[in-house]
Amino acid sequence: MSQAPTDAERYPTLSEEGRRLLQRMREHPAAPIFRNQSGNRLLAEEVTQLRAYEQQVMAARFEWQPGVPPPWLAGFLDAVHAQVPYFRARDRGTAFEALPTTDRGDLAADIARFVPDPVPLERMMNFRTTGTTGHPLVLPSHPVVAARYLAYHKRALARFGIGLQHGRGQMGVMLLGMQQRCFTYVSVTPTMDESGLAKINLHPNDWRDVDDRARYIDQMQPEVIAGDPISFATLLQLPLSHRPRVLLSVSMALSTGLRTALEARFGCPVLDLYSMNEAGPLAVHDDAYGGHVLLQPGMYVEVVDASGRALPAGQEGEITLTGGFNFCLPLLRYRTGDRGALAMAGDVPMIVGLQGRRPVRYLTANGRWINNIDVSHALAPLPLSRYRVHQHADAGITLHLPVAEAGLADDAVARLQQALDGRAVQVQRLHAEDKLLQYTTDLPEGFTA
Amino acid sequence: MPDMPMTTGPSLDVLLRRLLDTPADFLDPPWRGREGQLHVAAVVNDVLAMHGTAMAAPLRVTLSGGLQGVNANQLSLSAVMAWLLADATWQSFDRDGEQLQALFSEAVPALAAEAAATRYVLEPDRREELARTTIARLGLLPAGETAAQAADRLASVSGVERRRLLEASRAAEARARAIREALARKAAEESADKWTRE
Repeated sequence: MSQAPTDAERYPTLSEEGRRLLQRMREHPAAPIFRNQSGNRLLAEEVTQLRAYEQQVMAARFEWQPGVPPPWLAGFLDAVHAQVPYFRARDRGTAFEALPTTDRGDLAADIARFVPDPVPLERMMNFRTTGTTGHPLVLPSHPVVAARYLAYHKRALARFGIGLQHGRGQMGVMLLGMQQRCFTYVSVTPTMDESGLAKINLHPNDWRDVDDRARYIDQMQPEVIAGDPISFATLLQLPLSHRPRVLLSVSMALSTGLRTALEARFGCPVLDLYSMNEAGPLAVHDDAYGGHVLLQPGMYVEVVDASGRALPAGQEGEITLTGGFNFCLPLLRYRTGDRGALAMAGDVPMIVGLQGRRPVRYLTANGRWINNIDVSHALAPLPLSRYRVHQHADAGITLHLPVAEAGLADDAVARLQQALDGRAVQVQRLHAEDKLLQYTTDLPEGFTA
Repeated sequence: MPDMPMTTGPSLDVLLRRLLDTPADFLDPPWRGREGQLHVAAVVNDVLAMHGTAMAAPLRVTLSGGLQGVNANQLSLSAVMAWLLADATWQSFDRDGEQLQALFSEAVPALAAEAAATRYVLEPDRREELARTTIARLGLLPAGETAAQAADRLASVSGVERRRLLEASRAAEARARAIREALARKAAEESADKWTRE
């Protein structure tokens, strides 16, 4: 049941040049410790299909505007009601706007009911998310779905006049983490003629010599560096001479200050992507329009109020999604937990005033900082349905837990204390019934940028 | 059968009345080689033709009276179903040829295994079961009912429907279990390449 894949399954179309690049990325004298293995898993026919898919995505136009759904919506609703157990069990209703919304809690309760009947399970994979809303999630996906991300990245890059060039024998993308524990590996991207992909952790634990971090990036010369504000803040401190063509920032809100510093330091554009595991890359910030311009013509976005009523353009509410490119998880009025207002950027819809996930870091008893992802990892082994970790102005920590899960409190406190180098942790009851901010701080330095 | 009938169909009362008025000769012993009078395949053929669909060859053989495995009760209930479908009310609604044939190849055998054809004519609950089953399997709703009401009522009057739901629920549970297992596999954990990670 739990057999690990082979290299032939990880890289089904790997050429000799690709194999040499993998070896160079892994065995370079300055290489980090790669702790995991993964791959593109794409079959030859899927690579061909993906190339065509990228062209379609680049050429596709948005067929909807705020309040005016796209023509494909009716067919999409027919399909999900016929094929997805969760939606089949509900009344189809007549008006789309009146359909009940769904949220992370629904997915967390039983993700299997959201997978369409026709989806074959042999090559299903999962992406785990922690998120800010307190429901840890395992989301169904597929190698083709993961590979489709690049089509939307290219659409975002094209908006800023950037076309990717690196191919065979070159490093296409380096994904950065800055965590105590991080999934790290190397791969190649078949649709980019097997350019290299390395997911690395800038945390000193993953390097034989901390100076190797800059050496490795300089030697590998990735065309694109992807990361989150926490890893980019670390990147800023490294003595790099390499200049990537673009930085892609995801996962958390990127402050203007950090973005400006990164652009000045690396002399390249820094794209602030709004992306989530449930939906992939949704939007990219465009200064010219003052908002996050949407990237997926196959995703209908609403902004709704607390009762699920769609709000008119310009009014702020919760971003809600219908459609998407993950055929293992079609979304129907899915509330993201993020907020903003809809507007138009020319003929493309955008989100204005996006309030996404803000990174929080915590001061340990030894005076070092750990970030909220490390806190997630520390608590992840416990079956907590939700929690909140709050840092007070004096750096004291309170862990809020649901009353029903008070039995896990001792274990949770012990794990959190260990992550915080022994800092005392108070426990309080969590009263919020629904969504909550998972990581909060009154200590201003807790906001990383 | 569709899991969620969407379109409003005929009035239940009209169909119940129709069943009450079933002519006695439709319940005559069906022709089966050396016995019986009613040629069920011919009756069903006529009613399908009336709905603009040609009878499929396997169904013709099934209802021919020549197969030992097809008992007299299934043939009689097929005749009753043909009578029900011959009502003019159906002309107002969309009908799908395959669904019409499936009434004879799937619904009738299941119902015939539960009760004698005469009971579907003479007993109020069985009449309702037959009428509701027919409407549901044609993807329609009884006039004036929501999908949920229709599904609840059908399940309450029909043992066949209850078993069908149970089997569907078992199949759904097996699928859900398979999905959970697929997601828990080591291979699924290892994931695949994305150019950005949220």
